[in-house]
Amino acid sequence: MASLNRCLASLARFSLTTPARPTTAPLIPKFLLPTTTVPLVRYASGGGGGMRKRPPKKKKTYKTFRSYDLSPMEQFSLCDAMRYLRAFEVGRPPAVVKYELHIKLKTHKSGPVIRNRIRLPFPVKTDTRIGVICPEDSPLMTEAQQLGAVAVGEESLFESIRQGNIPFNKLICHEDSQDALKKANLGKILGPRGLMPSQKTKTITTDLKSTVQELIGADEYRERSGVVRLAVGQMGFTPQMLSDNIKALLSLLKADINEVDDSYTKALDEVVLSSTNGPGFSLNGMFKSDDEGVKPEDLQSVM
Amino acid sequence: MVGVLRRANRLTELVWIRNGPGAAILPQDVTRIHMDFAHKFNGGHVGPRKVWRHNMPRLKYWNPTIPMVVNRSHNQDGPATLSIYFREPGATLASDSPMPSSSADGFSKAPAPAAGERVLTIDMKDRRSEAIFKEFMDKSGAVPIKTSPQDEALIREIEDRKAIGTIDRERVRKQNEAAKREKQMIAQAHSEAAAIKAAL
Repeated sequence: MASLNRCLASLARFSLTTPARPTTAPLIPKFLLPTTTVPLVRYASGGGGGMRKRPPKKKKTYKTFRSYDLSPMEQFSLCDAMRYLRAFEVGRPPAVVKYELHIKLKTHKSGPVIRNRIRLPFPVKTDTRIGVICPEDSPLMTEAQQLGAVAVGEESLFESIRQGNIPFNKLICHEDSQDALKKANLGKILGPRGLMPSQKTKTITTDLKSTVQELIGADEYRERSGVVRLAVGQMGFTPQMLSDNIKALLSLLKADINEVDDSYTKALDEVVLSSTNGPGFSLNGMFKSDDEGVKPEDLQSVM
Repeated sequence: MVGVLRRANRLTELVWIRNGPGAAILPQDVTRIHMDFAHKFNGGHVGPRKVWRHNMPRLKYWNPTIPMVVNRSHNQDGPATLSIYFREPGATLASDSPMPSSSADGFSKAPAPAAGERVLTIDMKDRRSEAIFKEFMDKSGAVPIKTSPQDEALIREIEDRKAIGTIDRERVRKQNEAAKREKQMIAQAHSEAAAIKAAL
């Protein structure tokens, strides 16, 4: 009997009614089926030389900002760049539209950053309104008012700042009021606006007069991501005026660079002139136009 | 700062300031140009705006000495005129004839012609920029600039780059779509498997 049973069992595979395997394809792909307890058979290749998980490749990190090869970059003289920018800005109010200078530095990503104030020979902005924090009813208060501050005081000024009444765009603090300023907790309001007085920005001072004079017509610049950006002129400026402003800025910047500790690299890389609506032109340090027909005097007509 | 190559490619587009409609040299006797129109396009101010945006920069590039002043106002019902000032033959102009600078608030009205100057106005309202510019070229006597061989080569280079860009864009679009489709299929299979598991 046993032999017959064995025989039937082997024949059952060929029966028509019950196929040994389902003919319809499974609804779900094989790899998604719940895993059964079939142990994985592993054929060892010996010595652990099979597929080993390698640690992910480390991305190369650079300590300095990228410095490009400038050879594919066309560079322009100041008058040429101005000619193009004046064409881009034609018909725009010349006092509103500005020339901007972008100075790329060769520098470390970490370490000291350049930050300073400059009085340009031809000021670009003329709407500086200064607020002064100094002890109330002191001779300092009258001095500040005489210097043209739009808001003077201590507790009264703090109160108006808390209420959102900020009529100034520059704020300085006398050293006598430094503690009061600290207690007032105004960092949340003044910090984001860049108005918080601090020793670092030289806006906490003992000499109000010199600081106010320095602030009027002074522009702040700082290095961000290895580039110093500053508005250096109005569209109505002549090439000579713009050149004077650029020279003043670059010489001060070079002095700033020299002050930086020698253990950090810091050097000028590229100077780019652009305008509010215009493209950026890499400058080659020349003044006169390469085109003989265009003289500096030609670039000072009414815009 | 943006990489050098990308910036350099942007600057090759300067070829379209040196060439194109508006790249023309004005005759010696044109002393100044004034445009007056409104900020927005309703009320027939499309044409003037386009002349200012597309033709004036080229004209300014080739004629840097000539003041070109644009007065934009917020009065959409106001006029749209272009004034060309000519020096009368033989006349010498005072160098300090008053000329207001461009304004976005409608404060720089077209000045009256100085002694020894005549003015020619073009009405730009409700007209297409091409028609306005053609009339300007005819009336001012400007001579169009001929494209230099270097610029022609540059234009060809830009066109080639754009053609390659179109091909590449299509290729990347297909790639992205394939990746997206595969992702979608796997997500669908996952959800179906979960449904089956739940049913069991």
